[in-house]
Amino acid sequence: MSVMSNKIEKMRILDLEAKEIRRREANWEFIEKQPPRLKAALKYYVETGDLYVASRIAGMTIEEFNILRIKANIPNVV
Amino acid sequence: MSDFAIADTCFLIDWSLWKKRDIIFQIFKTIFVPEAILNEVKSEGVISWIAEALAQGKLSLFTETSEILEEARSLIERSRMTPGIRGVDLPEAICLVVGKRRGYMVLTENRGALMIVNLFEEFSNVKVWRALEVIAEAIRRGILQTPHIENIFMEYEVETKHRFPRVDLDNVIRKLREEAREVA
Amino acid sequence: MIMSSESLEKKLEKWRKLEEEAREIRRREANWDFIEKQPPRLKAALKYYIEFGDIRTAAKIAGLAIDEFRMLLLSAGIPTVV
Repeated sequence: MSVMSNKIEKMRILDLEAKEIRRREANWEFIEKQPPRLKAALKYYVETGDLYVASRIAGMTIEEFNILRIKANIPNVV
Repeated sequence: MSDFAIADTCFLIDWSLWKKRDIIFQIFKTIFVPEAILNEVKSEGVISWIAEALAQGKLSLFTETSEILEEARSLIERSRMTPGIRGVDLPEAICLVVGKRRGYMVLTENRGALMIVNLFEEFSNVKVWRALEVIAEAIRRGILQTPHIENIFMEYEVETKHRFPRVDLDNVIRKLREEAREVA
Repeated sequence: MIMSSESLEKKLEKWRKLEEEAREIRRREANWDFIEKQPPRLKAALKYYIEFGDIRTAAKIAGLAIDEFRMLLLSAGIPTVV
């Protein structure tokens, strides 16, 4: 396997691990109670860890969404 | 045909009401969604579909540059200055400008956008599809299969309460049948 | 730049006819009973939409997001015609 493929595979595994951690630690009761846009944004964030796009879905600034993410107990896994 | 498309609000909302909506992801590698559109969508069904598709990479957010915004605003002004042309708003204007600059297929249900492509020479090369053309392409590629082509269009009309103009629908169905005969 | 005035006139006439047909379809299929029972803002928005087919402005009149207004159109039996 080439060096590039190895790196991509390593990143894919790290991504999966991060997603698992976000899914496991998220407060799903809190998430399900949110209005549609915020709920969709939080679920998107759990899946991808992409703060920018999640904040766009929520119609919030990144900072505002970051506060929401913390309230929803979703960790930022880097 | 481009692997990429850019979709406006009206297209996404109507399309999301159809239970076969995910077939569109078999036609385009990625469908871009201007950021402006996210501010126009609030209901659970639509926003959750968009968010899931974003998470899967089937939709991708398009962040408008200041150049694109400037050209889009100029297009809005011109559309409102020309008598007889229905004016467009920012999301549609962005899609048309991106379609022109990057060759993406523009997905829209906005009559103003269709008029601009038909009437403004510098936008005449922009490819624009409504749900009508997307469904036709899906049939052409065998993604949607049925012995009665018209039933698929009727199903879309019933589920989304969207009506295709009869002349356009008849033309599309006739063309699909001719193509099917040629292949056979 | 817009194309020559003769071809522009013909095309505009074609679009005008399409708009007229669409308006007729919206008027005919609308559930007027439902529309008349709506609060003033929503009623005005639905009637505006029937006449002009402009969903963004109609949604603003209604004070709703576009997709929310689209759901209201479904309830009112009003098709989008494009």
